[in-house]
Amino acid sequence: MNTRIDELLAAAQAELAQANSDGELEAWRVAHLGRRSSLTLALRSIGQLPPEQRRAMGQAANAARRTLEADLDARRQTLRRRTAHAHVDVTMPGYPVRLGRLHPLTLTLRDIRRVFAPLGFRAVSGPEVEWDRYNFELLNIPAHHPARDMWDTFHVQQDARPGDLLLRTHTSPVQARVMEQVPPPVRVIVPGKVYRYENRDASHEAEFMQVEGLAVDERITMADLRGTLTYFVRAMFGPDRDLRIRASYFPFTEPSAEAEMSCHACNGSGCPVCGGSGWIEILGAGMVHPKVLADVGYDPDTYQGFAFGMGVERIAMLKYGVTDIRSFYRNDLRFLRQFG
Amino acid sequence: MRVPFQWLCELAGLSAPVDEVARRLTNAGFEVAAVHHAGEHWERVVVGQVVRIDPHPNADRLNLPTVTTGEAELQVVCGAWNFEMGDKIAFAHSGARLWNAYATEPRLEELKPTKIRGVLSRGMLCSPRELGLGDDHQGILILDPSAPVGRPLIEVLGDPVLEFELKANRPDALSVLGVAREAAALFGTEVHSPIPDPRPSAGALGMTVDLRIHDPALCARYSAAFVTGVSVTESPSWLRTRLEQAGMRPINTIVDATNYVMLELGQPLHAFDWDTIRGGAIGVRPARPGERLTTLDGQDRALTADTLCIVDAEGPVALAGVMGGQTTEVTSATTTVLLESATFDPVSIRRAAQRLTLRSEASRRFEKGLPPELTELALRRCVQLIESIGAGRGEFLSADAWPAPSAPQPVTLAFDRIERLTGLAYDRAEVRRALAALAFTLDDSGGELRVTPPFWRRDVTTPADVVEEVARLLGYDRIPNTLPMGRVTGVMPGEVDPRDDDLRDVMAGLGFCECVTYALTNETRMARLIPPDLLDADPEAPLGGAAAWDELRRSAMNEAGRALAERLLPLHRAPLRLRNHLSSDESTLRLTGLSTMLETLRANRRHADRDLMLFDYQPIFLRREDDLPDEPILLTAVLGARLSSGRWDETRTVDLHVVRGIVDELLTRAGVDPLAMGCQNVRHPTFAPGQAAGVTRADRLLAAYGQIAPQVAAAFDLDEPAWALLVDVEAVRAFDTDTAQFQPWSDYPAARRDLAVVVDADTPQADVLDTIHRAGRPLLASVRLFDEYRGEQIPPNKRSLAYTLSYAAPNRTLTDKEADRSHNKVTRALQHRLGAELRGPSGHGDTQ
Repeated sequence: MNTRIDELLAAAQAELAQANSDGELEAWRVAHLGRRSSLTLALRSIGQLPPEQRRAMGQAANAARRTLEADLDARRQTLRRRTAHAHVDVTMPGYPVRLGRLHPLTLTLRDIRRVFAPLGFRAVSGPEVEWDRYNFELLNIPAHHPARDMWDTFHVQQDARPGDLLLRTHTSPVQARVMEQVPPPVRVIVPGKVYRYENRDASHEAEFMQVEGLAVDERITMADLRGTLTYFVRAMFGPDRDLRIRASYFPFTEPSAEAEMSCHACNGSGCPVCGGSGWIEILGAGMVHPKVLADVGYDPDTYQGFAFGMGVERIAMLKYGVTDIRSFYRNDLRFLRQFG
Repeated sequence: MRVPFQWLCELAGLSAPVDEVARRLTNAGFEVAAVHHAGEHWERVVVGQVVRIDPHPNADRLNLPTVTTGEAELQVVCGAWNFEMGDKIAFAHSGARLWNAYATEPRLEELKPTKIRGVLSRGMLCSPRELGLGDDHQGILILDPSAPVGRPLIEVLGDPVLEFELKANRPDALSVLGVAREAAALFGTEVHSPIPDPRPSAGALGMTVDLRIHDPALCARYSAAFVTGVSVTESPSWLRTRLEQAGMRPINTIVDATNYVMLELGQPLHAFDWDTIRGGAIGVRPARPGERLTTLDGQDRALTADTLCIVDAEGPVALAGVMGGQTTEVTSATTTVLLESATFDPVSIRRAAQRLTLRSEASRRFEKGLPPELTELALRRCVQLIESIGAGRGEFLSADAWPAPSAPQPVTLAFDRIERLTGLAYDRAEVRRALAALAFTLDDSGGELRVTPPFWRRDVTTPADVVEEVARLLGYDRIPNTLPMGRVTGVMPGEVDPRDDDLRDVMAGLGFCECVTYALTNETRMARLIPPDLLDADPEAPLGGAAAWDELRRSAMNEAGRALAERLLPLHRAPLRLRNHLSSDESTLRLTGLSTMLETLRANRRHADRDLMLFDYQPIFLRREDDLPDEPILLTAVLGARLSSGRWDETRTVDLHVVRGIVDELLTRAGVDPLAMGCQNVRHPTFAPGQAAGVTRADRLLAAYGQIAPQVAAAFDLDEPAWALLVDVEAVRAFDTDTAQFQPWSDYPAARRDLAVVVDADTPQADVLDTIHRAGRPLLASVRLFDEYRGEQIPPNKRSLAYTLSYAAPNRTLTDKEADRSHNKVTRALQHRLGAELRGPSGHGDTQ
């Protein structure tokens, strides 16, 4: 009977010498040491032997088992050493794994929202097809006001006419929509697509993204506006940025301001990015016009606040060094894969 | 608006450098878009004199002037004809840098010697536009006869010009005097008004005009002045140069004088040839039905009742504030002129100018609302100017109709209002100084500020306006940086759903790149989604009419296909069209993002042969009766034919199961219970037959996916199979509470059993799976399909599905017997319910 064990042992050892990978070692283990291996079966069948043989047989089988387990360990060590010394070119590229990418405008919008969220601004959205009333009239831009020239507008065909339909030219109508629905205090930012009836070139789009900001309460001041915008440019473009504001005109703010930040590319010393001036125009802003407040039912003697609006593409262009605004809408994978 | 710097300095009494003036005006809200240093590029441009003009041998429209520069005589080829022998002109030597007169974006180009129609041109005679002196390119610039030949042009014409970005609120800013007032306030200088004091002259010339305003709402004031002994000739060069610097073309003494005063004071003036005015009367009224007028541009126009006209005793002679009439035009034969200076209703002028597409320097000023006080001042200045250039003698004011004079109203505000709005405590004295510098009168004797603006500042009507004046004059840069304090807000209406971000992230994680596409498209582009033989190619209705769609829905779609068409691909809906569009390709708001995404796929296919995975997460626009359109957000994804998989260069071909894998992961991650999702075949003409499916939950279609029909792919010029996935985000949201309930698993070893079931080929796998799940309860821990087989080893019309099942109990190791008992329940259920046969040895796996 020991001969039979010896044969099993020899066969198993011969086979083990041929095993060259972890997988083959495991297969060998199942075959020669597993539940259904000959050795295991031999051990199980000990009970059928005459009692005087059982002990010797059991010892032999267990010895063989220990030998094979030791051999397996040894073989495993050998293989490990061999693998360690084998030449693997670690500079080979990995097999392709492809994550997708988010659009740079989505990334920029998220960055902007992340800056304003801790200041209590909640992100809201509104319709892209809008009534003239919200896009213009409630923003203190009555029909035939020359300020309408500031926004070249797409108009929508209508059968019936409860009001004039247009593609919103800015995200500002959402100011009126929010204030109509909730009492002060209000603090929102409004990301979204806007439309201008304007020929495209490297710096103009007919469809683009804006973010509107609005904060109204009893004592929100122009200093708060300036501070908020300073906080924003520093969070977006680095702690060294400065912000300055100068007088401007928008029908829905009074006083109105244009905000510029010190150029992030040259730190204000003048370079091609800022056209040599050291400053970059970044957004329009102002204190909400008392007429706008009154028209949505806020008492302009009690409540006041600020509003601002910025072009998301402009922020993204500055951030990523994109020079043609149309790139954002061509959706070329060679472009999209560079971000996020 | 272009303001010559010298002119500005004269009126503002300024001596500061131009860049400093530009900077401070910009900060105060008078934005200087550019400072044109006329002459900074004129290194090789000199004063030349035309000494000979020869015809061009090969071109009738060109001529060959010879120009002397004092040192040499040079022949050039020229396309302009507005010069004569002896004229002094701006001559550019080759190598000079000139503005390209035809480029849409301003750009400087170097002049090179060129042969034009066979003749060498050795330089160029320049137009104002080529020199950067304005827009005029109708002829070359003729210089004053006193200009010294051979001298650099910069010595004759060099003067910076400030170009202002116009704001809609300040009519006074559309004048040199208005800018000068602002500059003087900023620099603390004294304004030198060019307006002469009045002189008693009405009737001095012995002429009268009968003025009549029919509706003071349309014309607040109409003032007129006679000028006699008129000499309509060329204006003196200083006058012409200023007009050219400001971007206007000199015409003759009278017209130039009116234009000069308009630029200087902001009040447009019009000059009538008095002898052509019938009946000695001038009136202002809307046109009557049937009236016509031939305007200065030679067009005969039918006038509508909403067009405000200037009329004489017999009919219209001018379109008020927009354009004069031809018959009353000032010509070289004119001897007596009536100057008109009026205040028209801004809305009326704006509408007329828009309707007639005649927006002019004059209408632009009227649109902003001019103060009536200005009419008389402008007449005085204009008559004085005409007299000073020897073009006639006149009265400062001959007739005046001002039915209802009104003065600017004072604005009252508490002093601390300024601090309350700006956040900065100003000193009372500096506020007084600032308002005084802007010519506001201030009364703060009662504690409150009572501020009366000057007549040219009627835009100041509210306390906020006054605060802005103070803040901008004292400098916005003094306002401190603070963060808003205050109360916590509630939830805002229309808040952006944070799950939008999640879905985008999941798509990116699945390998898709996000696109942001245009919402504008057109019906022809969207109609490519339907094979052309199914839709009658009607150019008027590329998407087909209601009848066509009824037929399509009946014949080319199954129920799931109709659900897809209704919710995810509503091409049968009437789209929203634009009234005005940039191009016919972008005349319509989209009903689907799929056509645009297939176009994007095609564009990317040009440079990529694999891993084309794109998605778009934006609204579509669905018309609603008497309301804003519905703008549901749809997730639209497209895939090309091959994806990277395996070793470096290996790919796998996209098929329905590949897309299904993506859909399952996406929807599960979005919160839909995978066990509750149903799946159906979709028959829809956009998709290849048998290669499209929809995923439902509680009978609601959440997503549809499949291969784009080959004909449709061909219509998008795609050369290989394309796949699409459309997700109804709103519907998915309805089920996102399905999951996220913790399910414990067993830590005890599971018993594994493999199973191969032979079923009818048309028995859905979902039925098999469902049967396994039901029968395997409660010990069945997981089921995984690992093979599908059709072929020789099983009968035709059958297929074999192979699964690995795991059984486990939560609190103990399962015995083989228990596992077998559960497994037998499963096999029996498959046999009884589905008529399935079990193939091969009934699996016995290891206990793991």
